[in-house]
Amino acid sequence: MIKHHPKFELLELFVNGELPASLSAGIAIHAEMCPKCQEKIALLTEQIAAVNFEKELSDPFLITDDIDDFSGEESLGGLNIDDMVANITQAQPSQNTKLTINKSVTYQGKSYALPRALANMEVGKAANIGKLSRSRIQLNENEVRTSLLHIAPGGGVPEHTHKGFELTLLLEGTFSDEDGEYIKGDFIMLDSSHQHHPISKNGCLCYTVANGALHFTQGINKLLNPIGAFIY
Amino acid sequence: MQTNLLSKATSDKSNYMSNKINHPELCQWLDAVAIKRDKQAFTQLFKFFAPKILRIARSKFPNEAQANEVVQETLSNVWRKAHLFNSDKGAATTWVYTIMRNVTFDMLRKIQSNKEDNLSDDIWPIAETMSSEDDSFNDHLENKQLLSVLEQLPEAQQQVVKGFYFSDMSQEQLATHLALPLGTIKSRLRLALGKLKAQLGDK
Repeated sequence: MIKHHPKFELLELFVNGELPASLSAGIAIHAEMCPKCQEKIALLTEQIAAVNFEKELSDPFLITDDIDDFSGEESLGGLNIDDMVANITQAQPSQNTKLTINKSVTYQGKSYALPRALANMEVGKAANIGKLSRSRIQLNENEVRTSLLHIAPGGGVPEHTHKGFELTLLLEGTFSDEDGEYIKGDFIMLDSSHQHHPISKNGCLCYTVANGALHFTQGINKLLNPIGAFIY
Repeated sequence: MQTNLLSKATSDKSNYMSNKINHPELCQWLDAVAIKRDKQAFTQLFKFFAPKILRIARSKFPNEAQANEVVQETLSNVWRKAHLFNSDKGAATTWVYTIMRNVTFDMLRKIQSNKEDNLSDDIWPIAETMSSEDDSFNDHLENKQLLSVLEQLPEAQQQVVKGFYFSDMSQEQLATHLALPLGTIKSRLRLALGKLKAQLGDK
C-alpha cells in the first residue's frame, strides 16, 4: 500500500494551480495511483470552486449598463458582453479527438510506459553513471530541475542531503532507505534537514523534482560532490 | 440516468439568492448549450461566470489584457466543451473552475517559463474525471440499487434526499423551495440517511 502522500497544503496549491508544472505533474501521477488522494483532490476542487464562484459581485463596476450606448448593452470591465458572446458562440463544439499517445522510455533494455501527465513533456537523452541513469525533463523552471532517474538492480545513491527540496515519486519498482521501503506510487518529499541513502535491490524508476544539488555527506563519497548536480 | 428530479421546479425562480449558487440552474444552462447550442443559456452562463472569472484573473495577472484573455479563453472553452460536462459527476461550478484554472496555468507558464506546451489538460484532464471507466460502471449499478432503496422511504424524506444529493441544492435552498423550516430539512435528511444506511448494510 502507498504510505507516502503529498501534504494537504500541497494538494491545496495543486488544486489552485499554483505549483510549478513539475510538482503539479508529480501530484497528478500520484493521485492516479492513489484513490485516497484522488478523492481529497476532488473534494477540494469542489469546495474551492464553490468558494470562488459564490461570492457575489463585490465590485458593482464590473457589470454596468453602458450609459453612452442607447441600446443599453452591458459591458464587463470595458468589454462588450454581447460582442464577446456573439464572438464565442460562432465556434463549433470541439471534437473529442485528442489522443493521448503513451510515451515510453527505455533504460538498460527495459521499457517503461510514462504516466499521462508526462505525455507532452520533452524528455532528454539519458546520461549514465554506474547503475544510475538520468534523463532531464525540459520544463524551463529555472533552479527547479525535473528528471527521470533509473536505478538498476543493486544500485543506489550515496548518503546525501539536499540544498532545497527533493521530491521522489516511485513510478516502478521499489527502493529503501533508513526509513524503510518505498513502493510504486509513494510520494516522498524531503527537505535539507533529511539525509538519506536510497538503495534499490530490484531496480526502480523514479520521477524526481529538486531545487538544489545533492550534497554527499559521508567520507569518501564527499569526493562525489561535484557530480551531485548530475543526479538530481 | 437523469437525476435532476427537482430541477424543473427550481428553474421557475431564476433569482439568485445572495451568496448562494443555484446549481441546478447552472447545470440546465450547460446542458442547453451542450444539447441545443442554446445561445441564450450561454449568455446566462456568461453573465454569471465572466465577472467572477475576471475578478480572479485580475488577482493573478497584473496586465488587464491578460486578465481579459482568461475570461475569453475560459468561456469559449465552456461553449466548445459543454458536451463534456456531466452533471452526475459534479457541480457546474467545479467544471468551469477546472477550465479556468487550466487556462490560467497554461498562460502563466507561457509567461514565466516561455513554454507553450499546454500541459494543463494532461495534469488535470477535463474530458473525464480521474476515476477509471470501471469505477463509473460500478457507480452506475450502485446508483440503481440506491434508487430502489430510496423509493421505499416516506415521500417527505425522499424529497429532501433527492434535492440535496441529486439536484445539488443546499439545505437552505431546500428549506425555501419546500417552504419548511431549516431544522425540519436537517432532521429529515438525518432520518433518511439513517434508514438508507441500514437498508444498504455496511459493506
